[in-house]
Amino acid sequence: MSQMLSPDMTIAGEAAAKAKIEVKNLNFYYGQSKALKDITLSLPERSVTAFIGPSGCGKSTLLRVFNRIYELYPKQTAEGQVLLDGQNVLDRSQDLNLLRTKIGMVFQKPTPFPMSIYENIAFGVRLYEKISKAEMDGRVEQALKRAALWTEVKDKLNASGLSLSGGQQQRLCIARTVAVKPEVILLDEPASALDPLSTAKIEELIDELQADYTIVIVTHNMQQAARVSKQTAFMYLGELVEFDRTEKIFTSPREKRTQDYITGRFG
Amino acid sequence: MSAVQEALPAVRGSRDATVRRFALTDAIFHAVTRAAAILVLVLLGGVAISLFAGSWQALSTFGFSFVTSESWNPVTEKFGALAPIYGTIITSAIAILIAVPLGIGIAIFLTELCPRPLRRPIGMAVELLAGIPSIIYGIWGLFVLAPFLQTTVQPFIISVFHGIPGLNSLFAGPPYGIGLLTSAMILAIMVLPFITSITKDVFDTVPPVLKESAYGIGCTTWEVTRRVVIPYTRIGIMGGVMLGLGRALGETMAVTFVIGNAHRISTSLFAPATTISATIANEFTEAVGDLYTSSLVALGLILFVITFLILAIARYMLMRIDARTGA
Repeated sequence: MSQMLSPDMTIAGEAAAKAKIEVKNLNFYYGQSKALKDITLSLPERSVTAFIGPSGCGKSTLLRVFNRIYELYPKQTAEGQVLLDGQNVLDRSQDLNLLRTKIGMVFQKPTPFPMSIYENIAFGVRLYEKISKAEMDGRVEQALKRAALWTEVKDKLNASGLSLSGGQQQRLCIARTVAVKPEVILLDEPASALDPLSTAKIEELIDELQADYTIVIVTHNMQQAARVSKQTAFMYLGELVEFDRTEKIFTSPREKRTQDYITGRFG
Repeated sequence: MSAVQEALPAVRGSRDATVRRFALTDAIFHAVTRAAAILVLVLLGGVAISLFAGSWQALSTFGFSFVTSESWNPVTEKFGALAPIYGTIITSAIAILIAVPLGIGIAIFLTELCPRPLRRPIGMAVELLAGIPSIIYGIWGLFVLAPFLQTTVQPFIISVFHGIPGLNSLFAGPPYGIGLLTSAMILAIMVLPFITSITKDVFDTVPPVLKESAYGIGCTTWEVTRRVVIPYTRIGIMGGVMLGLGRALGETMAVTFVIGNAHRISTSLFAPATTISATIANEFTEAVGDLYTSSLVALGLILFVITFLILAIARYMLMRIDARTGA
């Protein structure tokens, strides 16, 4: 599969890994202004990919194309292809709700729904599955355990999701995302509003989740990218500058711009 | 150097004068604005006191039976407020029942579904409804809506529910056209813009990222609205409903035209009735005798208390949603 990609954006030595998401010649526009310029890259299955770059470089925009959440807003348009298991998700015939059950997303700020902890998780599951109360209890427990939140909330599942601390809320959002059994999880700066302890927990969680899910994380924190990801994409002014194994990006980047950014010379 | 040093005391002197002048204008400004604010409280207190004083005779004559008695007889000077209170509450409640689903529906359409170019025109049209003088609603209700209901809708409903226990007394004939239900419908149209615009405003306070995350797990617009947007804005919507209710309770002109002005309590929604404000408007000019006038003022006091409470609850609820979005 990787032979199909432009050679400079294929990771050497990773050719064997199956691509989960392939982006081909993607351009993105906010009205007239072009926010993504001819992006082509391939994200391997069951591993963590980090997008780094200065603010406004387009990393969040790229993430928002994957589940087409950008379509909630008028005048935002994408051109090109984003293939999920070989199927172009930008195709007009793609069912958006179905796509979003396959590609889950966690946002910068925790966004618990205005309902109980239990319901926060059961709600999403119930949308697409008809299961019994006992099964649902199991699913909720499993999702909360996955998100390392179970022991903290198991005695107050009926409390409001808003009553949790910021870090717990964010793990609740991850649990909610995991519960609907997506294939891909998009994390848009998931730890930027959290304290270091909560951040460490989220990072541990990401590390565990990659056994089952393809994970894409946007982050401002370069140490975080280095810690959690297997491959890293550096973006700048809407272009994909460099995409490679994380250790390569952080030790011997090919591009001078990448080097300048990770050493803190700009950004 | 020395020139600067010599100039300094002079500069200081004029600066001190300026500071004093500023302090004075500031103090005057402070006093004037405070007086304006206090004036509002004085007016509110004045209204409450004069209503209470004016209604004292009626309240002391009839005691608590003033609010429990249905009789309203100017000849024998026996006055009870139950019928107008009943009419006021029932018309307003039905109006809210009609206007709330409509208003929320319009607000959902405008914030979530409406194509952008149509948003402003439709939103403005709804708000213009609030600008129509109530006398026009009254005329329209009496000459257009009531005859229409009398000849088409009411006979139909009466025949459909005839013989069904409960419903047959709720929709009992004859079809007058005017009455409780007609007033409630007019009131519903009148409070619709308030409920719609407040609901629309509180819907706009929902963080986009919260809606995105609901869409992000595969929700449809209906599910996002039903399970996330409405629960999140519940208190604000309630506040809007209460504001609409406050307005419906006090509305006079339009209701006076179409309520029928009958001092009795009937189970039928088609029956003529009266409300507090309609009674006052109709009868103040012909009120002979102090007790009659005092009874009408007492009606006013009751309305004042009811609307005051409703509006206080509305404000409190809207304050709570402001506090939450601020946090």
